[in-house]
Amino acid sequence: MRLILSVPPCRISPMTNLSLEQRLALLADSAKYDVSCSSSGSSRRGAPGMVGSTGRGGICHSWTADGRCISLLKILLSNVCIYDCAYCVNRSSNPVPRTVLTPGEIVTITMEFYRRNYIEGLFLSTGVVVSPDHTMEQLLRVARRLRREERFNGYIHLKVVPGADAVLVEEAGRLADRVSINIELPSRRSLLLLAPDKPRESIIEPMRRLSGLIETSRLERRRSRNAPRFAPAGQSTQLIVGATSENDRQIMTLSEGLYQRLGLKRVYYSAYVPVSSDRRLPALAVPPLLREHRLYQADWLLRFYGFASHELLDDAHPHLDMRLDPKTGWALRHLEQFPVEVNRADYHLLLRVPGIGVRSAQRIVKARRTCRLGEEELKRLGVVLKRARYFVTAGGRYLGGISMEGPELLERLTAPGGRRASLEQLELFPARDLSVVTGEL
Amino acid sequence: MGRYRYDGSFEGYLSTLCLALAERDEAVEFVRDAPETEPGLFDGPAIAVVTGKGEAAAFRERFAAEVSPEAFSMLCYAFHSEREGIENLLWQYVRLGLQAGPRLCSMIADKRVNRVDRLARAVSREAHRYKGFVRFRELEEGFLYARIEPEAYIIRFLAPHFARRVGDRPWVIHDLRRSVAAVYDLAGWRLVHDITLTGSPRFTGAEEGWAGLWRSYFRRLAVEERRNPKLQQKLVPLRSRKYLVEFE
Ligand code: SF4
Repeated sequence: MRLILSVPPCRISPMTNLSLEQRLALLADSAKYDVSCSSSGSSRRGAPGMVGSTGRGGICHSWTADGRCISLLKILLSNVCIYDCAYCVNRSSNPVPRTVLTPGEIVTITMEFYRRNYIEGLFLSTGVVVSPDHTMEQLLRVARRLRREERFNGYIHLKVVPGADAVLVEEAGRLADRVSINIELPSRRSLLLLAPDKPRESIIEPMRRLSGLIETSRLERRRSRNAPRFAPAGQSTQLIVGATSENDRQIMTLSEGLYQRLGLKRVYYSAYVPVSSDRRLPALAVPPLLREHRLYQADWLLRFYGFASHELLDDAHPHLDMRLDPKTGWALRHLEQFPVEVNRADYHLLLRVPGIGVRSAQRIVKARRTCRLGEEELKRLGVVLKRARYFVTAGGRYLGGISMEGPELLERLTAPGGRRASLEQLELFPARDLSVVTGEL
Repeated sequence: MGRYRYDGSFEGYLSTLCLALAERDEAVEFVRDAPETEPGLFDGPAIAVVTGKGEAAAFRERFAAEVSPEAFSMLCYAFHSEREGIENLLWQYVRLGLQAGPRLCSMIADKRVNRVDRLARAVSREAHRYKGFVRFRELEEGFLYARIEPEAYIIRFLAPHFARRVGDRPWVIHDLRRSVAAVYDLAGWRLVHDITLTGSPRFTGAEEGWAGLWRSYFRRLAVEERRNPKLQQKLVPLRSRKYLVEFE
């Protein structure tokens, strides 16, 4: 399917007389609202004489002043764009300086940064210029040179331009570790309102195609190790939170569908940072960071804890509780299932205990093979009992002290002593991208 | 009681374990080869252990077979924590392991195993973090040079990673706390001990340019509305910033 575009004449001409440093800074500005920076999920082996390898777990190289992990050189090839998506800094009507980097410049910067171990690889995106095919071709030029001329074996994440020719998309998947198309707005209505150039189908269709190509290549590689790879680290996307009126339930249902039906590796959530005074957008004083954090927690519950989105959110509760993490919220609505006995409860049930994360659950299951677990042993294993104690017994003894009554417990769990939900709690998720299983919920 | 003097290396320690196990010792004292550990007047004589690759490998094979490869890797990580008394702690761990067999690794709630498990995980975590924190600088001498000052002796866990990654240039990773360096010469890497800097390293002309470009990119990437320096400091503690060019 080819997207038919009505291309307005390009009113903006890029400034090419700027220094490399100035252009890099401008293009970093344009790229920084894309939150995906993960370098996980792909393993390429390096070799003497070659540059690069990727590790399964992903590696953070530094953290910016806003506490986000830097793993990839995240950059736009060009911030010139013919579209006018209201929420985007690069929209054509935004009077910001425009500039470009040449493919050669990006290749050199990537190699020099990579050798110095500043980064795990490249995350390349761009505004749309001339046409989707033309734009995609520009991105491919960079990836081709890195892989073929520089023999670069590090991580490459490429944006796929909706509407680009199938042959180009195919090539992108062959060169990149991960590919992505951002949905940005969680509903058809919002897209229509804020990104009139991008009908929902033009985004979902290519995502579906990518998902098919990834799946096919995975199956072929199972049959033969020599079958070519297609985006071995899968595809991801991003949703902007708080720019439009969707509730958390709509957002999580969408994510669940993307994971289950399109096999996405990650959905990123980005609290809307006002980059525009467009009347169609809310005038937010601060980005909804706590809400973004709760969505990430709920997302973790879908991917690693065996929860379904309807368990966390339903008609009666369309929004995540800002005072509590979503797992504790669920547990308080299902007190009849607690307390569970740590020496007997199966792994999946342990995962549902507030405060017990993937790692703690694994350690409990391992340790109880050779030892009966009491409070002392749990602490030794590094299980944090602050919240968990109200939901477990250890060797028959209830660790919560008080009897379990919903309202009382809620108060206890949200009391100042139990650290009230606030931005502080963002720290509960220190290294989102470091490892996929570090989130202790 | 056996009293053994060894060279302080992991291989040396494994050789010592071999010997102590063969002697059927129970309580064992380990002494490191270092000027400050000259035997005191009242200390008994120590048996000098000759570090042998063969013995070390034999122990490794035995332990991996009778207990598990995972348990051996715990032993290895924990040893490199360089914690006071680590030799004795691991001696208990090894003896317990040879009794308990493959169950050892699931005994993480047992005090003796738990302490080893904690140390091992701390070392492995630090090694992982340093895979991101190493910063190479290009020197006039024609190689890439990185300085680190980690808590644990992690350089031997880092070197293989960088040998796979930066395979087209010679490089040196220098642990200044321990005066030891991993040196890669395009064919492979080795550890060199007792390294001292005779002057400050001379960076190439291009080096400052790239470091500067990285620095300005790094600053630009933070979203002002999301500023959270406290969180940043938790993720990159001040002590690990010393050689990170973006924090210079
Ligand atoms: S097409 Fe992409 S870069 Fe262009 S305005 Fe829309 S979101 Fe921004």
